[in-house]
Amino acid sequence: MMGPMTEPTLKDRVEELIRENPVLLFMKGTPEQPQCGFSMRVVGVLDSYGVEYAALDVLPALQPLRQVTAEISDWQTFPQLYVNGELVGGADIVEEMDDSGELAELLGAEKPKDTAPSAKQELQQDPQQSPPIHIERS
Amino acid sequence: MAISLDEVRLLIEASLPGAEVEVLDETGTQDHLRAEVAAPQFEGLSRIEQHRLVKSAVQARFDDGSIHALSVKTSVPK
Repeated sequence: MMGPMTEPTLKDRVEELIRENPVLLFMKGTPEQPQCGFSMRVVGVLDSYGVEYAALDVLPALQPLRQVTAEISDWQTFPQLYVNGELVGGADIVEEMDDSGELAELLGAEKPKDTAPSAKQELQQDPQQSPPIHIERS
Repeated sequence: MAISLDEVRLLIEASLPGAEVEVLDETGTQDHLRAEVAAPQFEGLSRIEQHRLVKSAVQARFDDGSIHALSVKTSVPK
């Protein structure tokens, strides 16, 4: 019944998020309260640059988001960091690129010497209200 | 359900012939593993592409729950 012109799918919404946010982190939990050590490590690295980034908590829709990111990026574990529409990687890759200086180059940001407060925005401030993506449950 | 470190190593070696593979057990529970892989096939690939090759070699063991987490470190052999 549903043709391609009907409601956007979860995949469409995720692709839109990746397109519209130059630095986007799919993570378990929130930057303030990460629910997984790997997600916490990536948040720590991003915060050390003081760059703005969007963060999406995948836990409310873990399996659907796994499927969708597997289709989009051939990657289904979280966290996933996207910069300028491309999947950079998870915690291991982000930390390696942080150490090597590649991440600074990619983000176009110098790592500040002092610990400046991070400027981050969250897509989903109140989980009770207007979630950023519509999840279709099967 | 745990998996032997040797099995993980063999899966990676089978899909990346010529690779040097070391698999470590990070937690002592045999389900949070770390693989260090140096493979000639990585030449010219981005890190995410290198990691995809390693992950895809063991994907079936993720899917069946044998492995919970696999930390990967890749390099191109000198």
